[in-house]
Amino acid sequence: MTLNDQLQALRRDVDLFAGATLDTPLASVPHWGSLAVLLVIQHCETQHGLALTGTQIRGCSTVGDLLALIPQQP
Amino acid sequence: MHSSISNVRLAGLAVSTGSLTRDFIADGLALGLDRVMLERTAQTIGLRERKVAAPGVTALDLCEDAARRLLDAAGLDATAIDAVIFVTQTPDHPQPNNASLLHGRLGLATGAAAFDLSLGCSGWVYGLQQAALLCAHGGAARVLLCAGDTLSRLTHPRDRSADPLFGDAGSAALIERTGQAAAWHFELGADGKGANAIIVPQGGARMPADCKPLTEIPDLDGNVRHAANLAMQGGEVFNFSLRQAPPAVAAVMRHAHYAVEATDGLVLHQANRFVITTVGRKCGFPAAKTPSDVVEHYGNQSSASIPCAMIHAFAEPLAARPLKLVLCGFGVGWSWGAVAAELGPLIIAPIQPYPLAR
Repeated sequence: MTLNDQLQALRRDVDLFAGATLDTPLASVPHWGSLAVLLVIQHCETQHGLALTGTQIRGCSTVGDLLALIPQQP
Repeated sequence: MHSSISNVRLAGLAVSTGSLTRDFIADGLALGLDRVMLERTAQTIGLRERKVAAPGVTALDLCEDAARRLLDAAGLDATAIDAVIFVTQTPDHPQPNNASLLHGRLGLATGAAAFDLSLGCSGWVYGLQQAALLCAHGGAARVLLCAGDTLSRLTHPRDRSADPLFGDAGSAALIERTGQAAAWHFELGADGKGANAIIVPQGGARMPADCKPLTEIPDLDGNVRHAANLAMQGGEVFNFSLRQAPPAVAAVMRHAHYAVEATDGLVLHQANRFVITTVGRKCGFPAAKTPSDVVEHYGNQSSASIPCAMIHAFAEPLAARPLKLVLCGFGVGWSWGAVAAELGPLIIAPIQPYPLAR
């Protein structure tokens, strides 16, 4: 799964990210905050089997940084 | 830590909630928050309304009401109780403990044991294990387990990451020694390294209530709280719940030889619907066997949420026959507790607000 594939999956699954690109700052994602962090954790757990922490997500600046936390799969 | 305890039974349950209703959307609008976001949060997290305690009502009062109603329903005199365990993190006083105060209020026999357990969302399972131990090995024939909190008093109204979640409630349960009963299988654990993720920093011995003035500080999301408020890192709590609850559930089911298909229900701590559905799915349980709507009616009731969910979702069958249930609480202190047990038939006093409206 490429970074772009992961972006599409995130856009489909979490509608706050519907208009996001890899360069979109997380702070400008509509309603970015504690609820959005939970939705991202759930998405990563469900779609990728990856349990991210809130601290990891809060440490990202852009959507691309966030998706880079997910190990790339061939 | 695993333990299996035989020859005990759960004889009864009661829950008393706060008497005031708080509406999630209305409260948010009153703070000037965006309706669309409020509705999205309500839908996702499963927040609608919650019951909070009236001014002056404490967890001790709520548990006393639940205990009196349970003893009445069971036709028991308080002197038939050999020990009372009180699970709370919102006691009336630093000293004495709530269990001793309840001992006096109910008129338990002099010599009946009384002690508190300082635990929150995992606390009911911890308390059940202690009560079972007292009955199986500690010389008690009957133990009263009370669990409850008034966490709504600890949150700041402008902390939207915590304040809308919590309701207030007190529960009472009777655990009895019995001749023949299948073992209850417990898994209790903690990871203290994460204990600061849910914390009320000020008000204990480390940072006494009068050591410094309370200054309101906004966080990155605009939530406001001071040092005597409950502060919760929601993302860390969610990650912890996903990491620790499913293995604990799997362990007790393995020891009890329970398969999902033959288990009547998985009762998780009612943190919120989002957490329950995600953890329940990871445990392999269908949604129909995992009640998740308690929080919509009552809020997150800390250590009272599991008994409340048992009554809310299973009152009728539990009153009539034995059910194979798996219960799991997880939360403050980074602690968790799970138990697989056959429970019922038991006496149930209905979920009721305290004080009742006149």
